[in-house]
Amino acid sequence: MAARRALKAVLVDLNGTLHIEDAAVPGAQEALKRLRGTSVMVRFVTNTTKESKQDLLERLKKLEFDISEDEIFTSLTAARNLVEQKQVRPMLLVDDRALPDFKGIQTSDPNAVVIGLAPEHFHYQILNQAFRLLLDGAPLIAIHKARYYKRKDGLALGPGPFVTALEYATDTKATVVGKPEKTFFLEALRGTGCEPEEAVMIGDDCRDDVGGAQNVGMLGILVQTGMYPLHKPSLKQMVKYTCLKNSLCRNDKAHGAL
Amino acid sequence: MAAWSERLAGVRGVLLDISGVLHDSGEGGGVPIPGSVEALARLKRSQLKVRFCTNESQKSRGDLVGLLRHMGFDISEGEVTAPAPATCLILKERGLRPHLLIHDGIRSEFAQIDTSNPNCVVIADAGESFSYQNMNKAFQVLMELDNPVLISLGKGRYYKETSGLMLDVGAYTKALEYACGIKAEVVGKPAPGYFQSALQEMGVESHEAIMIGDDIVGDVGGAQRCGMRALQVRTGKFSSAADEDSEMIAWCPSAKPSGRKRPAVCKNRSFCPACADPGQTLFQGRGVYEQPLGQRVQEERRWVLTGATQSSLTGRTEFGLGAAGTFSRIKRLRASRWCLLG
Repeated sequence: MAARRALKAVLVDLNGTLHIEDAAVPGAQEALKRLRGTSVMVRFVTNTTKESKQDLLERLKKLEFDISEDEIFTSLTAARNLVEQKQVRPMLLVDDRALPDFKGIQTSDPNAVVIGLAPEHFHYQILNQAFRLLLDGAPLIAIHKARYYKRKDGLALGPGPFVTALEYATDTKATVVGKPEKTFFLEALRGTGCEPEEAVMIGDDCRDDVGGAQNVGMLGILVQTGMYPLHKPSLKQMVKYTCLKNSLCRNDKAHGAL
Repeated sequence: MAAWSERLAGVRGVLLDISGVLHDSGEGGGVPIPGSVEALARLKRSQLKVRFCTNESQKSRGDLVGLLRHMGFDISEGEVTAPAPATCLILKERGLRPHLLIHDGIRSEFAQIDTSNPNCVVIADAGESFSYQNMNKAFQVLMELDNPVLISLGKGRYYKETSGLMLDVGAYTKALEYACGIKAEVVGKPAPGYFQSALQEMGVESHEAIMIGDDIVGDVGGAQRCGMRALQVRTGKFSSAADEDSEMIAWCPSAKPSGRKRPAVCKNRSFCPACADPGQTLFQGRGVYEQPLGQRVQEERRWVLTGATQSSLTGRTEFGLGAAGTFSRIKRLRASRWCLLG
């Protein structure tokens, strides 16, 4: 691993770290303010398939977080960047609420498939259309590959199973753009001009946040809020983590030895 | 090429796939493939035993046979090995009560099966019924079971309808497998037990039988693994450009190391793979190949020719290769030499 350098940038996860659904994590606003008081750059990163940047921003503003739109980097942003980079016209299998993030992208006569969580699109006819595009060589871009998520009425299928279905049928591999993919973290850092060795990632998901960040050479800090109580990492996984904190706000003694 | 008579020596029975071999399914039942009605009639007149081995899971066996008879095929229900009746046997044997994610057209096959308080999920080609809600229902049933059992009627990737290629049950089965972290039990081709039951019903040993189908993995590969001979027809899903999916593309030794797609082109006529016989060992060497789930395997194997096709994209001949003794799809072969090893 490259030598560690002075800390210049901090990536902060949103859901589970700064807020949980429509409530702020107690003390998170002050913690963010303190962070703002230092010289490090802050970026907010999240895996979302249905919330546009604008929606996220409004929610965070309501919760009195001091955040601007250009500091937010989501898996939808990453997908858009990839679409622009590849210069393709995507068939967008994403929630309608996510469409503002793809404003200005040409989608007629598609030659690529972007797939997020879109239950209203996941049915036979639409999936067949996507399948035929893929057979013609269109790239498959997946926002992320979550297996399922929790809904008020119980568990529900995430985008992952449908991505897998298309992968199997066409014998291709999707390009996944969300956390914990390496490119996600690198893209999020791009605007800051920092190297991964100069950055740290703070999140509540041991695999997607901390593990993913460490894979690109960043440090990872796991907070014990959000999904942490539900998915406690095993001791074996813990050893790999840089630092564990009770929550973003409480300045506990970092478990540096771990 | 060896004479047909030599390659078919000792064959007493013929197993025929239906969709893509006898007919292309689609709106209004589909259309017969030109010449297939007569070919079947000739087979039936010969000494050979004939049986049909299908993965059809949208229509009941009775409906399918009725449709084919209407097109002029000489076929009866008792001659067809189909996955739904085979699944019913398994369900009864094991006392399983299924949640059915199936097409309405095949529901009658399960009329005698208890579906209350389900303790397994049966998935078939449900067509339009593959909605998010229905997939979710099946997923929730599986997640509530301590020991989730998922039975899949076949695991085909796609098939051809008159309107184009359609996703088959296999894709949706994979989705549920991935969501629940389980592995489905497959009833249908290429499961060895399925071929064996078809052979048993025909009263023919595997070495005396030949499978005729359009799917190189489900029909040809599956049959070969059971010790049968196999023949791939160039109709159904074969004739589409998309067959590169199931077609294993061999890479020329002179291909760029980056692995850029470049099909093998025969430069030296003395060992042109196009002139080799199916089943003949083409070369021995180290190959990197990718299995369907993405694991990469690199080992020394004998590679066997399984088919050749004219690419509709490049116009060049591309070759299907399989490792001797296994049936894996090869993505790339590196640093190998072409030679015929007999």
